[in-house]
Amino acid sequence: MSGSSRWNWPAVKGASLLIYLSMLLPLAVVVINSFNAARIPSFPPSEYSLRWYGAFLQDETFMSAIWNSLKVGIAAAVLSGAIGTATAMGFVRKQFPFKKSLAIAMLTPMLVPPVIIGVSSTILFVQIGWDRSILWLVVMHTLVALPYAFLVIRSRLYLFDESLEDAAMTLGADRLTTFREVTFPIVAPSILTAMVLSFVISFGEFTASQFWVDRTTTTVPVVIYSMVRTLITPKVNVLATLVLVVTTAIPILGIVVQRFVLSNAQSQ
Amino acid sequence: MASESVPESASKSYTAGLKEQLMENRRVRFLVSPGSGLFWILLFLVAPLTIIVAFSFFKPGEAGSIVYELTLANYREFVSSSVYHTVIWDSIKIGIITTLIVLPLGYTLGYFLGRTESRWTPVLLGLVVVQFWVPLIIRTYAWITVLGRNGVINKFLTAIGVIGEPVQLLYTTNGMILGLVVSILPFMVLPVYSAVSTIEEDVIQAAKTLGASDARAFFEVTLPLSWPGVVSGILFTFILSAGSFVAPALLGGPEDRLIAPVIATIFTNDFNWPFAAALSLVYILFLAVLLYLFTRKADLEEALEGTQI
Repeated sequence: MSGSSRWNWPAVKGASLLIYLSMLLPLAVVVINSFNAARIPSFPPSEYSLRWYGAFLQDETFMSAIWNSLKVGIAAAVLSGAIGTATAMGFVRKQFPFKKSLAIAMLTPMLVPPVIIGVSSTILFVQIGWDRSILWLVVMHTLVALPYAFLVIRSRLYLFDESLEDAAMTLGADRLTTFREVTFPIVAPSILTAMVLSFVISFGEFTASQFWVDRTTTTVPVVIYSMVRTLITPKVNVLATLVLVVTTAIPILGIVVQRFVLSNAQSQ
Repeated sequence: MASESVPESASKSYTAGLKEQLMENRRVRFLVSPGSGLFWILLFLVAPLTIIVAFSFFKPGEAGSIVYELTLANYREFVSSSVYHTVIWDSIKIGIITTLIVLPLGYTLGYFLGRTESRWTPVLLGLVVVQFWVPLIIRTYAWITVLGRNGVINKFLTAIGVIGEPVQLLYTTNGMILGLVVSILPFMVLPVYSAVSTIEEDVIQAAKTLGASDARAFFEVTLPLSWPGVVSGILFTFILSAGSFVAPALLGGPEDRLIAPVIATIFTNDFNWPFAAALSLVYILFLAVLLYLFTRKADLEEALEGTQI
């Protein structure tokens, strides 16, 4: 193609195909193996069955881990959504000293290695006599997700036309009414995105969480890790498949809600 | 504010006034807005990092207890023991190697997505974004089934006759690097895609009209214009791979002693919290120096925003 703006296109296409293969093939193997009837799965499976799905549903450890992960994920999503919104509003609307440095401070949880976040917070909590509980996971997952929530909402607020708020206030609305009736509906899609992202981050967080859980508060990724390290049971493939489905479906659902429900509400 | 509101009931205007007063209170307003997030960071990140500074100067006692006596022993152990120098050096080395592999591969896919005219682009882009959503532990675990002695790769290579016997891929440094590269690739692909897709077709055409070859147009127009994306990708790739825990723990061999798993072992198995604290701080200090050098060349905040599309 002489008029094209691309360079080395066939090679780029070939390499891209291989990269997709490396990202997707291992996940496909896990999903297929979850239907493998054999106790020691070999690939491709010689016999398919739902045997391990049945065994999985009977497993108390897995069920309680899923329940814990859901609770923590929802709580962390709500908290980081709320804090992220307030913080992003502050950073976009207000002037205060050291704003640039404080914005980077908001993003530091992305830079500190999760092992160090896990170890240091455990030392602090134990030191002040706060016993391990599900609250550890909630507050710390909120911390880990917060920078992402903050970035998503802030980038939306930058595009926000503040004269809309002035208009509402000129027409007699107070600050809270203006937020509820004008600001919130416009920012809502990004808050939803931030919450979904926070949920997914919390649901998958392992490296720091391994220091925060105990036997009763253990989460899905920690269970997967300890199962893989000790005895590999085919039930792990079932759990991994379900997590794959959940963590993919929830954001897609979020996008659908955002596109169709919220944008319809807005246009009315 | 409007004169019509005067005849309204006194109690209502009182609560409205209170509300107004509360919103005008500077301290309350700070906490309602940027303060809440900064407070969270202070409480759950800065405070823990501060307390481990203190811990790194305490002595480890018997059976995981802590002797609250100031000592430099932890830092002395780090300085005198070559084992921990090797750990830090190996982590940096793995970070550099991973970055050198992720950079060309991630750029290629980001470039492909940015310049392709396929109608499947949203789906192809979605498949990359999905990688962020699926937990790292699952994406890494998945490689165990692929790399093992009876794994897909060994079976395939034996079947087509490239190798006679299955080769050891799992629990090796190469296996670990492969897992790291694939799991970190999206952090390079997305910022490069964002940068490349905003480059106007006309700009590249202009270079070619002026006689530049395809290669020259790429190296002198496309690549420099997509540089901010590359910088963001390099930052994430290095930090995530040098500080990785999951890939060395699940895919690496016993010789792959990187900083994150080593700190975790000292903390969990040896119960030596003071030394774990000291090692964490040494690593944080190294990262801080690195990030400081980074900020002199590029905008850190912009780089951290890079993976958002």
